[in-house]
Amino acid sequence: MSTEVAIRVESVSKTFRQFSERNQSLKSAAMRGRISRYREFTALSDITMDIKAGESFGLIGGNGSGKSTLLKCMARILYPNHGQITTVGNVSALLELGSGFHPELTGRENVFLNGAIQGLTRKKVAAVFDEIVDFSGIEPFIDEPVKNYSSGMYVRLGFAAAVAIRPDILLADEILAVGDFEFQAKCLSRMNDLRKEGTTIVLVSHDIHKVSEFCDRAAWLNQGKLVAMGTAPDVTERYLGAAEDAARDAAGS
Amino acid sequence: MSTLRELISARYVLSALAFRDIRGQYRSTLLGQLWSLANPLTQMLVYTFVFSFVFRVQSAPGDPSGVDVYALYLLCGLIPWSLFQSAVTTGMSSLVTNANLINKVYFPRLVIPFAAIVATAYNSGFEFLVLTVALLVAGSFVLPWLPLALLLVITLLVFATGIALALSIANLYFRDTQYLLGVVFQVWMWMSPIIYPITLVEERSVAVGPLWGTNITLLDIYSVNPLVHFITVFRELMYDNRLPNLPDSLACIAWAIAALAIGLFVFRRHEKRLAELL
Repeated sequence: MSTEVAIRVESVSKTFRQFSERNQSLKSAAMRGRISRYREFTALSDITMDIKAGESFGLIGGNGSGKSTLLKCMARILYPNHGQITTVGNVSALLELGSGFHPELTGRENVFLNGAIQGLTRKKVAAVFDEIVDFSGIEPFIDEPVKNYSSGMYVRLGFAAAVAIRPDILLADEILAVGDFEFQAKCLSRMNDLRKEGTTIVLVSHDIHKVSEFCDRAAWLNQGKLVAMGTAPDVTERYLGAAEDAARDAAGS
Repeated sequence: MSTLRELISARYVLSALAFRDIRGQYRSTLLGQLWSLANPLTQMLVYTFVFSFVFRVQSAPGDPSGVDVYALYLLCGLIPWSLFQSAVTTGMSSLVTNANLINKVYFPRLVIPFAAIVATAYNSGFEFLVLTVALLVAGSFVLPWLPLALLLVITLLVFATGIALALSIANLYFRDTQYLLGVVFQVWMWMSPIIYPITLVEERSVAVGPLWGTNITLLDIYSVNPLVHFITVFRELMYDNRLPNLPDSLACIAWAIAALAIGLFVFRRHEKRLAELL
């Protein structure tokens, strides 16, 4: 494992506009004399962290803690208002499996489409196509339109297509909780393979045990602020401790 | 320049998304691609009946081609118009229809409206092919003029892309944009020399004379509409078979460059916030 930095997050802040009134039609905008009324909502405030190449990094925290926002900033889907994020190598984001699929196209066509969206050439996808189908285990249906797929088949193909070509950085949001038990185990083992091959993995999950098992390091976010960062077992233990305290307080009062 | 580099580096996504739109569109239909002909052909039949048969609008015979068929004269305006209209419409709504992708995956955002327009252009290729064959049958020797006509269609697409880019952003702030556009397009179509020849406007303009004591004429105001130039040039090439006049050709190029510059400027200013705006 090298000590090169794969993702550098430098004092990143992200605010959203929380609209108490948003006039998405011209009429209401003209009548009220403004486009919108909003207050700023801070989703991330002054986050700084370095994620090293080849490491597995977990992001944990309660709902609304900003972990998904941070992941989206790393994936360049959202842009921070302040600070900056630099990534080294190609980034693959698994925020939702099969999100690029078109219902009218067949599984086969969608695999190629998905590859192109990830920035791969047709040739590269063709080279791993059989592996993808094999991994997904839905071979008999590969030439059916995906609108006929069950949701399980959908995510299986989505996952298989997403991890077929090893990215330098993999950003994953709650993807280990898809499919049946057997497929989940398969996903985890594929993620382990990727890690051994040197992919940097950032994992957002509510499954604290999986994070503590799978990740080298972790960061705990609460209300957009970095609470703790360190080795995964340490951080998850502190997080669980705090969560238990909070639960006890709530029950006691 | 950076825009061009970005599009070239993203050519695989671009073609994959365009392919998706093309393949996805007519799936589960019996007639498939033939549907793209349905609209212009019905319009042609109806307008020909109303304007050529009932109102007896006279279109000048093609000079020098000698073709004198109102239906074809009409199609030479209608087909580029409908390409323009559908390119702007699909380009404008492309961000909303691809909201899912924008929220979940990163790739150059500019690809989305471009892919939508490429798919539209591809679909209308069939219409242009049918028009070419029909003109050949009618005795217009269009073949040598096709390269120039293609160039003009590309210029028209650039013009449409510029407008679509700016409107796609406007549509995120105000979903009215799409409805407003429908209304604007209706006026725009009748304000363009599609169904009637521009010579009729010229005649009226001469009869009315200079307006408000200036030397601005009705025709000058009419010609502010960029589509006047695009359609005039397209007709000169395809219907008349002659080299297009220079002022109209230059106007097309100038409008295309201006629209693209404005569209790119607007799009670039907002592209980083697309996921939030959707």
